[in-house]
Amino acid sequence: MKKILRTLIPIDIAKGLKVTGTYFFKVFLTANRAKKRPHGTQEYPEVPVKLAPRFRGRLTMLKDEQGEIKCVCCLACEKICPTQVITIESGKKEGRKTKIPTRYDFEMERCIFCEFCVESCGFDSIILNHQFELAAYDREDFSIGMLGKEHNMFETTPVGKFSYSDED
Amino acid sequence: MNAPVQMTILQSSVMAILQAVAAIIFIFVVVPMTIYAERKVIGHAQDRLGATRIAGRRVGLTGFLNKWMWRMGKVPLLSYWRGLPMLVGDIAKMFLKEDVVPSKADRAIFLAAPCLSMIAAVVVFAAISFSPGALFTLPKWFPIVGGLPFNGAMTDMNVGLLFILGIASVGVYGIVLGAWASNSKYPLLGGLRSGAQIVSYEVPLTLSLLAPVVLAGTLNFGTLTRVLAVETSPLAIPLMVVGFLVYLTCGFAETNRVPFDMPEAENELVAGFHTEYSGMRFGFFYLAEYINMVVVSCLAGAFFLGGPWLLPFGLHQFIAHVPVVGQPCALWFVLKIIFLLWVFIWVRATIPRYRYDQIMAVAWKYLIPMTLVLVVLAGVVKFVA
Repeated sequence: MKKILRTLIPIDIAKGLKVTGTYFFKVFLTANRAKKRPHGTQEYPEVPVKLAPRFRGRLTMLKDEQGEIKCVCCLACEKICPTQVITIESGKKEGRKTKIPTRYDFEMERCIFCEFCVESCGFDSIILNHQFELAAYDREDFSIGMLGKEHNMFETTPVGKFSYSDED
Repeated sequence: MNAPVQMTILQSSVMAILQAVAAIIFIFVVVPMTIYAERKVIGHAQDRLGATRIAGRRVGLTGFLNKWMWRMGKVPLLSYWRGLPMLVGDIAKMFLKEDVVPSKADRAIFLAAPCLSMIAAVVVFAAISFSPGALFTLPKWFPIVGGLPFNGAMTDMNVGLLFILGIASVGVYGIVLGAWASNSKYPLLGGLRSGAQIVSYEVPLTLSLLAPVVLAGTLNFGTLTRVLAVETSPLAIPLMVVGFLVYLTCGFAETNRVPFDMPEAENELVAGFHTEYSGMRFGFFYLAEYINMVVVSCLAGAFFLGGPWLLPFGLHQFIAHVPVVGQPCALWFVLKIIFLLWVFIWVRATIPRYRYDQIMAVAWKYLIPMTLVLVVLAGVVKFVA
């Protein structure tokens, strides 16, 4: 009897309709507003993306206040890297107690963006930045070292013009 | 009701052609807007924005339309209408795609099936009355029919409802024949399911319309709408509410919409009955589904929601004497159709597909007994009042 009543009176269907109806009106009434936007989508190429604080982007080296490289060549990141994309050569510098990298190579085409290197670093000298537009036309652009003007370890990768929102 | 105007045969045939053109314009404005609304409404119900661009291209027509819609979208009001050019893309795709006929298919039937589906969907509009009397009077300078009233009904015949139900049931032949002529197993399974489902749901659909017919005592579309909106006894109001829900459920099944979309079960049967169709022939099936939605919305709107009268379920009789709101207006009817189309999309966004035996159980075990009880109760109300 209860089952027959539940079938005849579609209370469950009404509950489901209430949920979707609420979402519809919430998004419909605010879709045109610039500030209050409850919907989950981001209109990516036209509107800048909001990323989560722990987003794992490209590996970047940090410098301290004096402009000195913070890395001390402990090779922890090189050892822990699952795909072995980091190559470090250490050297010495006048007036600096610790070692300084003379070469820090990062092969981004094999990187899996796992953040193990950043976690293993005891000196907070590397981070993964929030950059995800990493496509390039040349394979060489994925080999990133300490030298060079654009594709180096200290700055973000220059973004190519891929979408029409970049035109302006 | 206005006094009938005497027309010559030439005048009445020209008038009929004009009304047919108006009805077809109405269909081909409402149907693309429904397709657009479907993307938007389902998107909103799922916490998304829905269609906002045609394709991720910078060049050509689509790139041009994308770019300008986004630039204009910086004006807040326009941003909702981004994605509207997608309709242009849809129609262009339908026209430009190759029309493939499988080599083992039964060619004549294969080619005729979509037309049958489409014709059955469109012809129904001949008997639908949008508003009692004249919508407007044609201007004097108009050739042949100048100064004559443009009626809200194309042909308000005495057996209008019977005509509508008869023509609408021809639509299933389009699906079954198309499926059979494709000579392929998935379309055949889809067609067989669709045949069984639609034949099952014709019964409660017709019976749920029988209750209004018993209450009104006529089959004429215009009279039926008027009697149900303003002249039924207040006792019939609960019957109308239940009948509306039952009719809407059967309407979903008749138009193969989502809780009952057995003929095109994408996850089991590729695309169901239209697997082998492409190009404009697929487009005919696609359009026929949406036109059927409009037809079901028209019938539900006219018989249960009061049609051109404002208040639904026969409640209008309480405000029928109010000067402006009490008068019938075609606008209310169109608004009700739009609301019901929105309900179609809303339900699609909510309810997943039923299993096949569940669909049959709902039709035979619950809806048919319910509608029979409704018909008996309608007879009792008619007898008491």
